[in-house]
Amino acid sequence: MEEKVTSADDPAASGENPYTQWYEVQPGDSLWKIAKHHYGDGSLYMEIFKANQDILSDPDKIQVGQRLRIP
Amino acid sequence: MKARSAFTGFLSMLLAAALLAGCANQMEPARKAIADIEAAVAAAGPDAAQYIPAELQAVTSQIADLKAKFDQKDYKGVLAAAPAILTQAQGLAGAATSAKQAAEAARAAALEALSAEWATLSGTLPAQVAAIESRVNILSKSKKLPAGLDQATFESVQGGLTEAKTLWEQATAAQASGNVEAAVTAGRQVKEKADAALAALGMSAG
Repeated sequence: MEEKVTSADDPAASGENPYTQWYEVQPGDSLWKIAKHHYGDGSLYMEIFKANQDILSDPDKIQVGQRLRIP
Repeated sequence: MKARSAFTGFLSMLLAAALLAGCANQMEPARKAIADIEAAVAAAGPDAAQYIPAELQAVTSQIADLKAKFDQKDYKGVLAAAPAILTQAQGLAGAATSAKQAAEAARAAALEALSAEWATLSGTLPAQVAAIESRVNILSKSKKLPAGLDQATFESVQGGLTEAKTLWEQATAAQASGNVEAAVTAGRQVKEKADAALAALGMSAG
């Protein structure tokens, strides 16, 4: 898994925590896979889902290129 | 011959008397000269001791020398040296005031710099600590830590987070009580721990 860690584009303006870790969804990714990579445990995928409910409505539906908060 | 000897003796006594009278005439001016110098030193006040201790010491040392001369009845020596020392003593008050103003300006500048640093720390550290705490809470539920993070490092991060939160409480309390220096000192320690935790957790934004 190729990890992309970025800061928010303009955290101050968006109200985002500037220390939030971000991840850009790659082809073949799932929240489980992303959680396993960042937390060592895929079953914690709901933590990522809950932190991204402004752009995700279903934990099984993520799109390549989406930028997800990794709390 | 006898008359000549008597005359010589009379002259000697006259000379001695004149010398004594001269000495006595110089004693009071010498005493006053020393007193004037001491008054000038006193006028400089405690600021001289605090802000120009070396200059003050130089004058008080010379006063001690003058008093030694006075005790040795060297009033002429006292009167010869006194004017220059008086000038130095009279300059102490102004020098102390200038030094005090410079010290106060430096203190104000340092306080301003500390306040600016505090503004930066207080604007970033709470978010930094919150991000770390969020990750630590999630990792605490993980059955297995992610690659690159071993148990010992994670426990060290947990300990650092606890310390950072305690230090941040101390920092904000110090700032609230007006002690910006203590606030910044504690804030710097929080930043050090938070930076180390972010790096250990692989959360350093790039």
